[in-house]
Amino acid sequence: MKSAPSRRARVLLGASALAVSALALAGCSGSGGSGGTSGGSLTIGTTDKITSIDPAGSYDNGSFAVMNQVYPFLMNTPYGSPDVKPDIAASASFTSPTDYTVKLKKGLKFANGHALTSSDVKFTFERQLKINDPNGPASLLGNLKDVTTPDKLTAVFHLKVPNDQTFPQVLSSPAGPIVDEQVFSADKVTPDNTIVKGDAFAGQYTIKSYKVNSLIQYKANPDYQGLLGPAKTGTINVKYYASAPNMKLDIQQGNIDVAFRSLSATDIDSLRSDKKVKVVDGPGGEIRYIVFNFNTMPYGATTPDADAKKALAVRQAAADLIDRKAIASQVYKNTYTPLYSYVAQGLTGATESLKPLYGDGNGGPSLDKAKQTLQAAGVTTPINLSLQYTPDHYGPSSADEYAMIKDQLENGGLFKVNLASTEYVQYSKDRVADVYPAYQLGWFPDYSDADNYLTPFFSKDNFLSNHYDNPDVQKLITQQVGTTDKAARAKLIGQIQDKVANDLSTLPYLQGSQVAVVGAGVKGTTLDASFKFRYAPLHK
Amino acid sequence: MTALLDASDPLSQTSAPASAPGRSRSGGGLLRYIIIRFLLIIPTVFILVTVVFFLMRTTGDPITAAQGGRLPPDELARRIHEAGYDQPLIVQYFQYLGGIVTGNFGTTFSDHQPVATVLVTYGTATLELAFYALIVAFIVGVPLGMLAAYFRDKGWDALLRIFAILCYATPVFFAGLLLKLIFSVWLGWLPVSGRATTGDELTMQSLDHPTGIYLIDAFQTGDPAVLGDVLAHAVLPGIALGFLTAGVFLRLVRTNVISTLSTDYVASGRARGVSEFRLVRKHAYRPALIPIITVMGLQIALLLGGAVLTETTFEWKGLGFQLAQYLQARDYVAVQGIVVMLAVIVAFTNFVVDVIAALIDPRVRY
Repeated sequence: MKSAPSRRARVLLGASALAVSALALAGCSGSGGSGGTSGGSLTIGTTDKITSIDPAGSYDNGSFAVMNQVYPFLMNTPYGSPDVKPDIAASASFTSPTDYTVKLKKGLKFANGHALTSSDVKFTFERQLKINDPNGPASLLGNLKDVTTPDKLTAVFHLKVPNDQTFPQVLSSPAGPIVDEQVFSADKVTPDNTIVKGDAFAGQYTIKSYKVNSLIQYKANPDYQGLLGPAKTGTINVKYYASAPNMKLDIQQGNIDVAFRSLSATDIDSLRSDKKVKVVDGPGGEIRYIVFNFNTMPYGATTPDADAKKALAVRQAAADLIDRKAIASQVYKNTYTPLYSYVAQGLTGATESLKPLYGDGNGGPSLDKAKQTLQAAGVTTPINLSLQYTPDHYGPSSADEYAMIKDQLENGGLFKVNLASTEYVQYSKDRVADVYPAYQLGWFPDYSDADNYLTPFFSKDNFLSNHYDNPDVQKLITQQVGTTDKAARAKLIGQIQDKVANDLSTLPYLQGSQVAVVGAGVKGTTLDASFKFRYAPLHK
Repeated sequence: MTALLDASDPLSQTSAPASAPGRSRSGGGLLRYIIIRFLLIIPTVFILVTVVFFLMRTTGDPITAAQGGRLPPDELARRIHEAGYDQPLIVQYFQYLGGIVTGNFGTTFSDHQPVATVLVTYGTATLELAFYALIVAFIVGVPLGMLAAYFRDKGWDALLRIFAILCYATPVFFAGLLLKLIFSVWLGWLPVSGRATTGDELTMQSLDHPTGIYLIDAFQTGDPAVLGDVLAHAVLPGIALGFLTAGVFLRLVRTNVISTLSTDYVASGRARGVSEFRLVRKHAYRPALIPIITVMGLQIALLLGGAVLTETTFEWKGLGFQLAQYLQARDYVAVQGIVVMLAVIVAFTNFVVDVIAALIDPRVRY
């Protein structure tokens, strides 16, 4: 009597297990059955986020990545170069010290059929200034007074400061995408869906399908007449990930063709040995540096034992002890490279001013030199240095990065570092309120010009608010901005770097690389000193 | 004998205690019960909205939370004033209530989306995931619970009880990662993440009337490969979240079936020679399902809580996933809208569950 029900029960048990398995099998049958890319399409993965695709409403990597594909620029950086040239403009030049005149190419139009004229150009920049959204890039247009349009193809930018040599770069920056005045609002940020429905695009691609921070489908724009040429792939899909490990698995399994921003250093390192993918490196504009507060650092101006010479010696000793190569290789697996100046390498005018001055003279650290510097200045060791970093703004490796910097500074007993961290919202308030004697910062340029690494940092009332004030440097900065001769300007930029390297207002130590991971058959990945990842050259 | 029992089985009647006397009276009672239960949703939601609103405001105004570190103080003050966040809290509260009534939950700070659009776009994904999870919970929990009851205090029972404990004690994100590691990374059988492959997702987005529920949209495409792809993507998230509830169902069914097996009508059946297996399968499990339906209301809240972790683990872009994203961005307007929506879903689901329970078991409505 007992054996029969037991057998049935086992059957039921088996059926239950089978039910679970059936779900899995249903999935297995479908997993490889559809989707993917073929022919003229590519799929790109990213963990970037879009704030808004209205150029007046966002100023971040994720949003600008979209804008770079779909909006036309008056000026743009050709592939492989950091310097700008006319994009949809036929010509662009200073016609007087305060007038920058741009002539558009004939027959330009948006994908919706609207003509693209100088009226759209005027509308674009005036709405940027009018909207002045805190999330937008209007601050880059600080030198722009107004725009006039003598005819349909000509726009004249009237500037406040004459001969501003950075202005052409500004036109290629996040403030520069030209928008359709018939689709965009003149005085408020336009919703993404309105832009997409209005098909207000005139770049290399248009947007066919748009689901914010989820999935975007781009189609090549046959009407683009600009500097960068037509797109090589007809359809580009961009998939947005929240988790970099998921993106890594998808690129490994061939579910996406390109992964760009931001895989961890460890993931990139492991992918370098994966034969199914290629890791493509390019110069990056991001830099990392330590800021010294000239008032509150050891021997700073407002400390009880204030002594400018000793304070300088402390900064110099820190510069002698930092081992950039170790940080780049051990913490960032060489996805960052050592930086020995204030301007990112690859840009016109960049030098390596810090290299011969500090450490072993070849980029490595030198304990002996640090000891000599401190002894010569009469500094008592160990120096107590409070060093602050933020764990939630510059990536997950900040803690490792600063633990290593602490070790390097304390090696040899010259420094005793009190390392602490603060969450970014509070950190950004504290750092300008003289709370931190020395602290971590990073910088991503607004455009590919050396000035973008100088004016914001070392001019009077700079954003660092670290009380560094060198009139000679400030004079040189003003001079280089208005110098029209390129060689003379590059020389001035070099002089500024040399002077600041002596003062050590900040201590730059790392420069980020751009890294893309692509499927083995993907070609045309272009990562250059424009710091813009453009989809158009990509193809299979 | 089996056929005889099926045709005129007195036990079949005993196993359905719903056929109680006073049909007309019970019908009126049911209607009254449904109306009262429905009306109760209003104060429930009202209290939830109020609590959520004031709790969120204890952290300050949303603009300072989202953009405080990036704006100069005067600009911050201007924006706060423009948005009305400098008004008395009670005024803001009534304005918020007024907005909700008209379907206006505000606009997110981090990506400038109307919160109502966010709720509609991503809510469907969460409901779909909850649906898959419930299917898994039923398929796994109910039969295994019956088996555990059948093998009461034997080896199988012990194993199944341990399995149940593991199901609801294992953190859902850990289960998710483990499933991904085994089935996606090692075996490569199932997709790593997402709701569909990119191509299929675009196909479904291009439908004339996409519902946002991919299972339905996949049917709309008429392409079996798309349907297979959608189901493939649903397997791991469905199992990870479903097992959480399956464990609860298993224990509940086991307990109830054991309880039912000791009732007089089952003893009577046993005395008539009805097999033990048939007693469990035909007569004891139906009454055991009633508490499951009741508990399901509570489990929905658990599922939605678990969905935050499951969706994040599997990049299943639903409300839970978005909630995590908006929390990271300190976008409290969006967070507030999503939390309110989740609360409304829980309240409404509980209403539906209560009605179903009342339909099945008349004792509920008295």
